[in-house]
Amino acid sequence: MSAAKPVAEMTAAAVTVLLADDEPLVRSGLAAILGAEPDLEVVGEAGTGAEAVSLCRSSAPDVVLMDVRMPALDGIQATRRIVDAPDPPRVVVLTTFENDDYVYDALQAGACGFLLKRARPAEIVQAVRLAAVGDTLMFPAAIRDLALRHRAPGSASGPASLSARLTDREREVLALMASGLSNGEIARSLTLGTETVKTHVGNVLAKLGARDRTQAVVLAYQSGFVRP
Amino acid sequence: MTAALGRRARRRWAFLILGGALAMPYWILVDTVARLFVAPRGPAGEIVLSFADLGAALPLIAVTAVFPVVGTLEASAARTLLGVPLESSPESRMRTALWSVLHLGLGLLVAGATLALPPAVVALLVRPIVPAWSGRVAWFPAWLAPLLGAVLAVAAVAGVGGAGRLLARSAPPLLGPSAADRLAALEARNVRLAERNRLARELHDSVGHALSVVTLQAGAAGRVLDADPAFARLALGAIEDAARGALAELDHVLGLLREDGASPSPPPDLRDLHRLVEAARAAGASVEVRADIDALPAVVSREAYRIVQEGLTNALKHAADAPVTVLVEQAHGSLTVTVANPLGVGHRTGHRPGRRPGAPTGGHGLKGIRERAELLGGTAESGVREGCWRLAARIPLP
Repeated sequence: MSAAKPVAEMTAAAVTVLLADDEPLVRSGLAAILGAEPDLEVVGEAGTGAEAVSLCRSSAPDVVLMDVRMPALDGIQATRRIVDAPDPPRVVVLTTFENDDYVYDALQAGACGFLLKRARPAEIVQAVRLAAVGDTLMFPAAIRDLALRHRAPGSASGPASLSARLTDREREVLALMASGLSNGEIARSLTLGTETVKTHVGNVLAKLGARDRTQAVVLAYQSGFVRP
Repeated sequence: MTAALGRRARRRWAFLILGGALAMPYWILVDTVARLFVAPRGPAGEIVLSFADLGAALPLIAVTAVFPVVGTLEASAARTLLGVPLESSPESRMRTALWSVLHLGLGLLVAGATLALPPAVVALLVRPIVPAWSGRVAWFPAWLAPLLGAVLAVAAVAGVGGAGRLLARSAPPLLGPSAADRLAALEARNVRLAERNRLARELHDSVGHALSVVTLQAGAAGRVLDADPAFARLALGAIEDAARGALAELDHVLGLLREDGASPSPPPDLRDLHRLVEAARAAGASVEVRADIDALPAVVSREAYRIVQEGLTNALKHAADAPVTVLVEQAHGSLTVTVANPLGVGHRTGHRPGRRPGAPTGGHGLKGIRERAELLGGTAESGVREGCWRLAARIPLP
């Protein structure tokens, strides 16, 4: 994630962001970094998980940056409540350390990705944009490591049963999703139309019972279907 | 029979011979002294005296086993030759003494048998052919001699094997750690693990948190330096404070890690409260303490100490000249810890503008307190109320 990818699908209206972290200095730092971008707008700051849930209802942001450990409802429970609401925003988990077990829990709860607090400003900005569009896996290598670290031995869906549910084309699409390609990039790589790719992605998610791209890729790694 | 002569049996035999060799000085000493007083008559008398010497040598062997080195040597010999897995050297002298007596006593018998029996067996086996070898012992018919020789040989091998098995079976209870030793070792290991986890958690909470703040604030300051110099200036202040706090925490944790090499000192608890208060007074604070610290579980006492420590640190940082009240009370099945001080003039948290980065909140220490209180099933909160900054924690008592 060195050079910023052009985000073709971006709309003219600014992406609205809600920040949830119990440390004011983290919030003010993120607010300054995101606020400096013309296409991003911080619409609220929450110091607790409960506050984040209620601000989500009132300000309907596109993206929520969510700390995990917070008083009054932690980030994992807050994420669960936020994504359970109709037309939910995309939740990105904020973490100090990559190997925190909480991060995996948060992804299971419905976060679409995670963002290290030590990420460069450009990466933070890029992550928010990617999350808003939602058609690209954020930090594919980190997601892969996380999925492999939490692979349960003898899990129900082995590679055979998982891949048996997918067509050849869908398997190709899933492998490219795992490597962090956007729908447009997958389309170019397979010489298909972007709409066709979107359909395939939708089918993959439906067949795997995955909420989003991130969850599908985590499942693909954990079942051993996609190999690192 | 192959097992009786196998590799394991031979090693055990060697171990017994070693015991016999070790017993020799004792045996010779006793024998020399004994001959000053008695003169054995004939071969039978010599044999009786030899066994009597052995019996008298055993107490001497037991007495010399009080030297710890004996236990260590015996344990390492048993590990190598008996093939007994022993985790550590024996701690109990009584058990080492018993083991030494068993090993050296049996060893002397086996060594004696090893020297005496093969010639006897050969002599018995060949008696019908070479009558002259049988000497004067002729109370049984010559044709019985080879049979007796064979029985003697088998009995010798079986006896040596039995002695080896007895030693191998006695080694773990006599030379290994006792149940109490093992329990103590397990306990020590748990303490070390808990300490390591605590340190990891401290680093995670304090230094990790502070460095996140530093990274984010620095990144933000760089982005808005031209557009919002006021923010950049505040961010630099926040970075400085966070980095300084992190260094102090690092200093503390590294100090603990270095101490770990030596015997780790137990973490402080409420019994060390007076030292904490004295340190705060030395720093210029006026501290009033009321504390009921009787009969508290160790873990609650330790956490309560840390809560008071955090509260005093915070009070000193923000209002060094205001009087601080520390209350530790036990009531209704829980322990309540309160640290409070009135907001002094220039109390920095009182001037912190809402959304601006400002003075550090001291938040991570207080956050850690809250998490640990919750781990113990309690609660902790801090904040300004009625002109007082207050840290209050409640931990249920078992």
